[in-house]
Amino acid sequence: MAFPGPILLKRIPAEPGGRHLHRYDDYVATGGYESLKKALAMPPADIVKLVVDSGLRGRGGAGFPCGSKWTFLPKDIHPRYLAVNFDESEPGTFKDRYLIDYDPHILLEGIAIAAYANSITTSYIYIRGEYHREAQILEEALAEAYSHGIFGQKHAGTEFTHNCYVHRGAGAYICGEETGLLESLEGKRGWPRIKPPFPAIAGAFAKPTIINNVETLACVVPIVEHGAAWFKAMGTPSSSGPKLFGISGHVNAPGVYEEELGIKMSTLIEKYGGGVKGKFKAAIPGGISMGILATNQYDAELDFDIGKKYGVLGLGTAGVIVMNDQTSLPRILRNIVRFFSHESCGQCTPCREGTSWMHKILNRIVAGRGKPHDLDMLLELSQTMGAMPGTTICGLADGANWAVKTFLQKFPDDFKAVVKSPLVAGVSVPMAVTVSGAAAAPAGV
Amino acid sequence: MAWIVENRLKAYTPTRAEPYLTDTMRKTMEDTYLLRYPRKQAALLPLFHMVMHEYGYIPAGAIDEAAAFLGITQAQVQDAVSFYEEFRLQPSGQYAVQVCRSISCELAGHEAVLGKVRELLGTDPEETTEDGKITVFAVECLGACEQAPCALINGKLRGNLRPESFAQELQQLPPLPQHGDHSAGNGAAHAAKIPGATASKVEPEVHGH
Ligand SMILES: Cc1cc2nc3c(=O)[nH]c(=O)nc-3n(C[C@H](O)[C@H](O)[C@H](O)COP(=O)(O)O)c2cc1C
Ligand code: SF4
Ligand code: FES
Repeated sequence: MAFPGPILLKRIPAEPGGRHLHRYDDYVATGGYESLKKALAMPPADIVKLVVDSGLRGRGGAGFPCGSKWTFLPKDIHPRYLAVNFDESEPGTFKDRYLIDYDPHILLEGIAIAAYANSITTSYIYIRGEYHREAQILEEALAEAYSHGIFGQKHAGTEFTHNCYVHRGAGAYICGEETGLLESLEGKRGWPRIKPPFPAIAGAFAKPTIINNVETLACVVPIVEHGAAWFKAMGTPSSSGPKLFGISGHVNAPGVYEEELGIKMSTLIEKYGGGVKGKFKAAIPGGISMGILATNQYDAELDFDIGKKYGVLGLGTAGVIVMNDQTSLPRILRNIVRFFSHESCGQCTPCREGTSWMHKILNRIVAGRGKPHDLDMLLELSQTMGAMPGTTICGLADGANWAVKTFLQKFPDDFKAVVKSPLVAGVSVPMAVTVSGAAAAPAGV
Repeated sequence: MAWIVENRLKAYTPTRAEPYLTDTMRKTMEDTYLLRYPRKQAALLPLFHMVMHEYGYIPAGAIDEAAAFLGITQAQVQDAVSFYEEFRLQPSGQYAVQVCRSISCELAGHEAVLGKVRELLGTDPEETTEDGKITVFAVECLGACEQAPCALINGKLRGNLRPESFAQELQQLPPLPQHGDHSAGNGAAHAAKIPGATASKVEPEVHGH
């Protein structure tokens, strides 16, 4: 099926002038809270099954199947919590903010359905501290929803009680990692937890907890309305449904656009993003943790299989960052590792020290004082620290790793050009590319 | 992240007769935030958001009072508070100007913005203007990359910045009443409202381009 047009963004016209914040009445007048009504007439287990059947995968970065996450909750342990991940701090990502700026009730409806389906009595919306305006929007939307019986005692006419609260973060990227989020919710520093136990077993306040991204929960609303088959008909077999894509960087019309998963990046950029400003050189598929797509990967399909096919970590947040041929990739890579070094929570030595050294090395490379072996050192670092080699607690270090190794492997000349040692001027120094796989990932394979 | 290694036993804690946690704050905690969580400690972030809102920074005395109020140790409070960048342990200017320095803003020329600010205001990131009005911060992605380069002025987003006009706008910001000065309607001074505490309407401002 072709993409039928905006689903999550159906209340948000593409024309900036036509956009406005939908309050409760606007939301209901445009079909809002009908899915909740429908859900409340269903046995909770049927809703979970519907979400499983829809193939909905998490929109927060990892793409974990949402329905199976819900089935991990142990049967008889109560209370259980829902933590909504609205930390959205991955550079290049702004889709959740855009949705909430205009249509906060779609999230609240998704939360109410998820809570009913999973017998959850308290939900917390964890919102990053910098989203002042969005916190206010959600507070006001919640107040409206409470006054209409969506939350509170006797949830929407049933015997079920469910409360929902906003919990503001205070400026720490790592609180987007789901267990860092839980620590922060509990009033501690946002240090990710060693797993297991997984949050579904012992999460917030040591009770079973589901953590879902804003967009994931918003998707539940149309799934309940139109059914699993309808949802699955969009996208690809392993990546079903619509997706919010962010586009920023060197494009003519940066913004948030909705399309089905599997759309070609080139189509997204040209049809929605107004085309590349200048000549396309590279793009990051979804937040800076994902690594980089090469010049010949412009047509990459944006879905959850992108990692395997194109030698990146994954789709991530689908916040596409586009770079033209005037871009200095060493400077951009320095910006990326500076971010990770600054945001590393510091509890794992390889991550704290490794990202810091990556930053120092790139600083000297950008300053023109880099040595060819600096590139080898960067590559070596990127292969030895991180959750995937098994030396760190969370995935932050891997984000730095994927950025470093894919930049160096896909654009070696850009880096070699700036580390020519003065002693061997004019001689191209070979760089040892030792990471298997993606070194020269062909386009479209 | 902030790494604060400090011997709190030896640290000088300025005190004052009046408690830092005001009666209003305590009442908001009792009536709203403490009810939301099964453990008191979980209300630590909302409490310190109120402290930041009131004073513009976290006075050391507030940490001690919060520990007593939440029933945890001062070390636990210090450990948590010092982790979060938005909880500033030192006073800053009346306006906190947070300029994004992450990838999309670099691609859109954030360095020119910071450069112009330096030229016109004489401040680098982390510095306060001589009149105490503005503190500039270079921060990570603000989640508004489609409006790069962008910044927050006391919590309010400003996008698609042009170096010259933005720096001029900063120069022309009106002086604000002092933090903690209730007579002058301090609440209005900060764009960020205390969540849950008010029924005020969010401004119908449209983001984007
Ligand atoms: C360092 C790090 C930062 C993350 N930041 C976010 C975030 O800001 N928002 C988000 O939804 N997920 C974030 N995630 C992913 C979460 O850990 C988690 O997978 C997600 O919230 C689950 O929701 P979903 O299954 O609905 O996607 C982050 C992960 C890591 C490792
Ligand atoms: S990998 Fe880095 S960010 Fe994650 S827990 Fe370890 S030190 Fe913290
Ligand atoms: S990179 Fe500046 S707002 Fe995202």
